[in-house]
Amino acid sequence: MSIAELVKGGERTASGRGDAVTTLAASKPSPARRAKNALATGAVVAAVVLTAVPLTLVIWAAIRRGSERLDLTLFTHSMRGVVGAGGGLLHALTGTLLITAATAAIAIPLGLSTAIYLTEYGSGGRLAAITRRAVDIMVSIPSIVAGLAAYALFSLLLGPGTRSGLAGAVALAMIMIPVVVRSSEEVLRLVPADLREAGLALGSPKWRVIRKIVLPTALPGLTAGAVLGVARIIGETAPLLLVAGFTDAMNYNLAEGRMATLPVFIYTQWSSKGLDTAAYDQRAWAGALVLMAVVVVLQLAARALPPQIAKIRRNR
Amino acid sequence: MRLGKIKQVALWATAGLVVAALAGCAANEAAEGAAGASKSSDGTNDEQLSGQLNGAGASSQSAAQEAWKAGFISLQSDVTVNYDPVGSGTGREQFTAGGLGFVGTDAPFSADEASGGGQASCAADSPLVEVPVYISPIVVAFNLDGIDELKLAPAVIADIFTGKITNWNDPAIAADNSGVELPDLKISPVHRSDKSGTTGNFTDYLAATAPDNWTAGETEEWPAEGGEGAEKTQGMVEALTAGNGAIGYVDAGQAASLSWASIKVGTEWVAASAEGAAKAVAESSLEEGRGEGDVVYELNRTTDAAGAYPLILVSYLAACEKYEDAETGKLVAAYFKYVTSDDGQQAAAANAGSAPLTAEEGLSAKVSAAVARIGA
Repeated sequence: MSIAELVKGGERTASGRGDAVTTLAASKPSPARRAKNALATGAVVAAVVLTAVPLTLVIWAAIRRGSERLDLTLFTHSMRGVVGAGGGLLHALTGTLLITAATAAIAIPLGLSTAIYLTEYGSGGRLAAITRRAVDIMVSIPSIVAGLAAYALFSLLLGPGTRSGLAGAVALAMIMIPVVVRSSEEVLRLVPADLREAGLALGSPKWRVIRKIVLPTALPGLTAGAVLGVARIIGETAPLLLVAGFTDAMNYNLAEGRMATLPVFIYTQWSSKGLDTAAYDQRAWAGALVLMAVVVVLQLAARALPPQIAKIRRNR
Repeated sequence: MRLGKIKQVALWATAGLVVAALAGCAANEAAEGAAGASKSSDGTNDEQLSGQLNGAGASSQSAAQEAWKAGFISLQSDVTVNYDPVGSGTGREQFTAGGLGFVGTDAPFSADEASGGGQASCAADSPLVEVPVYISPIVVAFNLDGIDELKLAPAVIADIFTGKITNWNDPAIAADNSGVELPDLKISPVHRSDKSGTTGNFTDYLAATAPDNWTAGETEEWPAEGGEGAEKTQGMVEALTAGNGAIGYVDAGQAASLSWASIKVGTEWVAASAEGAAKAVAESSLEEGRGEGDVVYELNRTTDAAGAYPLILVSYLAACEKYEDAETGKLVAAYFKYVTSDDGQQAAAANAGSAPLTAEEGLSAKVSAAVARIGA
C-alpha cells in the first residue's frame, strides 16, 4: 500500500468518527502536533540521506576508479601470461556468466517447485512445516559453509582437490534456493484463491490450474524473486575461491578445471599485488565496476522479460 | 514508453553480453594446437608439454608465482599453471589430502612428513622435494609525519610490539636515534590478524635476537594482546598508510610506499635490501636430518656478518619425487626447473622484489640436484 493510500485510509476513519472529529481535523493542528510531525519528518529524511550517502559514494568510487582501466583490452584479454600492467578480465566475466547461469538452472526449478508444493499442495502438512523451517535455516547459513559442503561433496564424488565451475554452481545454488523458495512462496500466495477456484470449477485438473493460471499470474513476481536470488549470489567470493578455484586463463568447461569469476578476480587482484601496485588496483576497481554493471543489466533485463513474453504470446 | 525502451535495451544488452563473452576467445590466448608448433623453435631443447598444473599455498609467493607462470608459459605454451594463494597451512593440508601438483609454503613440511608416505598428491611412499624459491626481506615499517628513517634494535621492536614502549619519544627509541626529533605521540603497533608466514618469521627473529624481551617464541598467529589487527599484507599496508604513529611488519616487495626502519645486526645498522637478504641466507646452514631432495634452511637470525639482513622470509616450493601420473611429474619438474633457474629468479625479483637465490653458487647446485629428483 502506498503512502497516499495510507493517508486516505486515515482520513476515512477520521471522518467516520462523526462531526466533532471532522471539525477538529479540519482546523489547524496544534503546535505540539506540528512539532512532532516536523521531528518525525526530519528523522525520516535524515535516515534516507544516511542510507543514500554511503551508497552513492560506493557507486561513485567504483565509477571513478573503475573507469581508469575501462578499455577494450579489459574485455578482450585474460590474465594468462600477464605480469604487472595490462591484461583483462574476459576469463572472469565468462566464468561469472557461466557459473551464474548454471546456478540459476539448478536453483530456479528446485526452488520454484518447492514453493509450488508449499503453497498448493502441502499447506498445513508436516512435510511443509519441516521444509519451511529448513529453508529458514538455509537462508541464514554463512556462504562459506555452502562452499565447504560443495567442496566435501565433490571431493567424495570425484576425488580430493577437485575444482570446477560446476562445484561452484552447486555451492551457490545452496545459497540461492532458499531465496527463491521464500520469494516465490510469497508471490504464489498473493494469487487470489478465486482464480484457482474458477479454474477448478470449469473442470481443469489441479496441475493445469497451476500451470495455466497460477504461474502466469505470478510471473512478474517470480522473475523478481529469481533476480533477487541471482543478485544475492553473483557477488559471492568465499565459496567460489574454495571450490571453483582461481585461474588466469579462459575456461569454458563447467565440468572440469578451475574457473575464474569476477569477485574472485577482484579479490586476488587486491590481495596479491606485485611491485606495480597501481596496475593491480586499477584491475580490481575495473572488475568491481564491471560486476556492478552486470548486476544492473541483469536486473533491468529481468524486469523487461515478463512483458516481452506476454507480448510474444499475444502475437502468436 | 520511455522506461519500456530502456528495459528492451537492457534485454538485448544482456543477450549481447552473454554472446560476446561466450563466443570470444581471449586475444592474448592463442588457439590450442597452433601455439605449440610456433614456440618450439626458440632454441630450448625441452620437450613441449601440455596440460594443467595446479598448485596452492603461501600468499607471500603470489606476485612471484604470477611472474613464474607467465615466464613458464612463454616456454611451454600449451600448459596452464594455476596457483591458489590460500595460505601456507591450508596449502599443505590440501597437498596432503591430494589433488595438487605442488604447494608453496612459508614453513616447510616437518622432516617426518617429508621423508615419505602419507601424501595423497604423491605416489605411495614417495618422499618430498622441497626447495627455497622465494627469499624476501621483511621490513619494520612505520608512519611518522616528517620522519623517514629510524634505527630500531630488536629489543626495542619487541618492547614496542608487546606494549612496553608506548610513546614515540620513549628514551629507549631516542637513545639509538640521536638527531631525529621524535614526536610525543602514542605508538600504535599493527599486527597481522590472520595466520601468516610473515608473522612467523617476524616472531622467530624477535625470539632469536631479543629472547628476554620477546617471550612468546615463534608463532604464525599473533600471540600478544593489544595493538591493531590487520587482515593480510594489503590490510597491513593500508593500516600503516592511514595511521600516523603506526608501526608494523611487511614483506618488502609490498612496502615500497612506506618508511623502513634499519635494524641492528651485530653492532651495525642495516636497512632491508635483496642483497642483505641473500647474504643472511648465505650465512645460514641447511637443516640436518633431511633427505637429499629436501633443501630446508635453518635460518641464522643472530648473524653479525657485515651487510646481512636476517629479518627475512624464505618461502619454499614442495613437490613429490614420484607421482601416480607421470605427466604431472614432468610438468612439475619442468616448472620447478624454470622457477629455480636464473631467468625465473630474476623474473620474480622484477615483479615481487625478492632476492634471487642464484646469487650463491653452492645453494643453486643443491637446489638443481633436488629438482632433478622430481619425476626421475
